Amino acid sequence: MADCSFGITGKDFVLLASDQSAGRSIIKMKSDENKIRTLSPGLALAFGGEPGEFTSLGKRRLMGGTSNELAKRGGESDMIKRDTNNFVDYVERNLRLYQIRNNTELLPAPASAFIRKELANSIRSRSPYAVNLLLGGYDKVHSEAHLYSIDLYGTKAILPYAAQGLGIYVALSTMDKYWYPDITRDEAVELLKKCVAEVKLRLAYQFTFNAIVIDKEGVKNLPL
Amino acid sequence: MSRRYDSRTTIFSPEGRLYQVEYAQEAISLAGTAIGILAKDGVVLACEKKFTSKLLDDDGSAEKLYALNDNMIAAVAGMTADASILVNHARYAAQKYLKTYNEQMPCEMLIKRVCDIKQGYTQHGGLRPFGVSFLYAGYDDKYQFQLFTSNPSGNYSGWRATSIGANNSAAQTLLKKDYKDDLSLEEACQLAVKVLLKTMDSQNLNGEKLEFATLSLNKAESAPESTGNEATRGPATDEVTHRIWREQEIDELIKKLGVLDEKKEEE
Amino acid sequence: MSDPFSINGGAAVAMVGKDCIAIACDTRLGSQSLGLANNFEKVFQMGKTTFLGLTGLATDVITLREDFRLKNNLYKLREEREMEPKTLANLVSTSLYERRFGPYFVSPIVAGLGKGGQPFICGFDLIGCIDFAKDFIVSGTASDQLYGTCESLYEPNLEPEDLFETISQALLNAVDRDALSGWGAVVYVVTKEKVVRRVLRTRQD
Repeated sequence: MADCSFGITGKDFVLLASDQSAGRSIIKMKSDENKIRTLSPGLALAFGGEPGEFTSLGKRRLMGGTSNELAKRGGESDMIKRDTNNFVDYVERNLRLYQIRNNTELLPAPASAFIRKELANSIRSRSPYAVNLLLGGYDKVHSEAHLYSIDLYGTKAILPYAAQGLGIYVALSTMDKYWYPDITRDEAVELLKKCVAEVKLRLAYQFTFNAIVIDKEGVKNLPL
Repeated sequence: MSRRYDSRTTIFSPEGRLYQVEYAQEAISLAGTAIGILAKDGVVLACEKKFTSKLLDDDGSAEKLYALNDNMIAAVAGMTADASILVNHARYAAQKYLKTYNEQMPCEMLIKRVCDIKQGYTQHGGLRPFGVSFLYAGYDDKYQFQLFTSNPSGNYSGWRATSIGANNSAAQTLLKKDYKDDLSLEEACQLAVKVLLKTMDSQNLNGEKLEFATLSLNKAESAPESTGNEATRGPATDEVTHRIWREQEIDELIKKLGVLDEKKEEE
Repeated sequence: MSDPFSINGGAAVAMVGKDCIAIACDTRLGSQSLGLANNFEKVFQMGKTTFLGLTGLATDVITLREDFRLKNNLYKLREEREMEPKTLANLVSTSLYERRFGPYFVSPIVAGLGKGGQPFICGFDLIGCIDFAKDFIVSGTASDQLYGTCESLYEPNLEPEDLFETISQALLNAVDRDALSGWGAVVYVVTKEKVVRRVLRTRQD
C-alpha cells in the first residue's frame, strides 16, 4: 500500500497532494512519479490503488488474456501502474471529448458523478480497475471549491478534507484538529505540511510529495 | 419532374432539394399554431387546439404540450404520433444524462440529441422524416431561460419569440412588432394570447381551444437544514417549475386580459 | 471485510403510525472502522409521500438511488402521476431480481402513503423478495439492534409527533450499539398534509 494522498478545501480553493513513489509491496522502484493529473482548467485528481486488491484483480485480468499477451505485458508492477494510469487517461480523454462535443467544460460535480459511475460499472466487470482517487475542482458557475473521494468500488463522498492510502492512519486526526470551514490558503498549506510531517514521523515508508492548488485561476503547482 | 426525387428521402433533386423533407415541413404548416415567448423571468408556450369536440373524452392532459424533463417543456406542431416517439427519446436521454452526471441535461444538448434523430430520417433510405416541429422552453444554470425550435430537417435555432405551425409567418410578424426585451412572464402570456387570437381562424377564443404552459423559477422552499451529501442527494434542487395550465386558468387569463372585449369594440 | 453489507455501514428504519408513516436513516459512510463522511443520507424522496431507504454497500446505494430516480422520473413523465408506494415496491423488487446472479448488496425499504392516505411500508432482501409489514421495517448493519429497540418502543396508531419520537429513539439507541452506524441521522414524518424532515444531532463518535 505504497500510496498516500491528501485533499484540503477552503472557500475558493482545493489543495491536492500525493506521494511520488511507485513500486510493489515493500519495494520502492521510483520516487518521482507524478500521481496527480490535471483533467481540465478547474479539475484535477490524485490517484492511487490498493495493493492487495491490485494484485489479485490484476492477476485475474491477466488470466483473461492469452499466454502470449501475458508474456508481452511484462512485470506486475508495470501492470499495476498501467491499471491506474489507464483509468485516469480514460477519464481525461472522456472529459476532453465532452468539452469538444458540447463546447463546455464539465463542472466538478458532474465530472465526479461520471468518474464514480465508471468505477461502479468497472467493479462489476470481468476486469475491474483498482483505482482510488481524490478529485478536486473549482466550480466556476457557482464559485465553489469541491473535493470528492472516490474509491475502487465507486463509493463517492463529498468532503471538506480527505486522505487516502497510508495517510488516513496518521493525518486524518491532524486534519480533524486544524481544519475549519473558512481556512485560508496559507493555513491550508501549513496544514498540508503538518500532514506530510506526520507521515514522515510516523510511517516507516519514506514518501516524497508533490502538490497542486486549484482555484478560479486554474491548477498550479504548489511547492511544499 | 419531382416524382423521381420524392419517393425516397435520401435523394437530392437536381435543384439540390429534399422534397420529402419539404413535404414534411408543409404538413406542419397545416397544423395548429404554437408560439413561444421568452420573458425575463420565464418562458411561455401556447398552442392552438385544432380538434375540439364535445364527444372527445378529455382526460385533462395536454395534447400538444409535453414535459421533457424537470427543466424543459416542448410544444408540438405536426403529427402527434411522430412527436410522441421523439418525446420518449428525449425524456430517456435527459434521464440517462441525469443518471450519468447527476445534473440536469443542458437544454441545447437535449435538443441536439432530438435533432440528430430527426436528421437521421432525412438521410437513411426508405423511411420518411418525422413530421414534427418542436418549440422548446428550457432553463439551465449556464444560459438561464431559453427558447428553441426544431424542424423535420433536424435544424434547430434559438429565439426570443417565435412560432411554428399554421400562420406562423403572420404570428412572427406580430411578435416582431410587439416583442420587447424586458417582458415579464405575465406580459409574455398576454402577448401570446393576443397573437394567437389574431392568427387563429376561430372567432371567439376560450380555454377549450388553447393550451398553455409556462416555465419559471420558484423561489426555493427554505433550504434543507442539513448539508446533505450531494453524492446521494442529487443535484441541488433547481427551483425551475413548469406548469401546464388547466382550461379554467386559460379562461381566467383571457377574461383578465379583456382581449375579447377589445375585439368586439374593433368589430 | 468480505461481507459487502458491512463495509460501509449504515442503518434505516420505517414505521407505520395513525394515517402517517415515518422513515429514518443514519448518515455515516465508512470504510470498515474508519469513518469517511457524516453526510451520507440513505433515505430518498421519490414522490410527494413516497420514500425509499437504501442501506448496504455504498456504491450500490448510490447506483440504485440513481437508477430508481431515472425509473421514477420516467414513470412520472409518461403516466402524468406519481408512483404509488406499492408500485415502487414492485419496481424495486423486479429491478433487484434482474440481478439475481450478481446482486446489488443492499437492503432497501419503502415507505409511503398510498391512494387515500393508506400507510404502506415494506422491506426487501438483496434479490428483491418483498417483506410486507404492518408495524415497522428495519435494515442495515444495526438491524439486529433496531429489531430490539423497535420491538420494545413501537406501538400501533401513533400520532405523527409521537411516531417521530418513537422512530428517533429506536434509531438512535440502535446505532449507538453499532460501531458501523450513527454519525448523524435524518427522520422524515409523512402525513397526507405534509412531509416533515428533521436532522438529528447524535453522538459524533
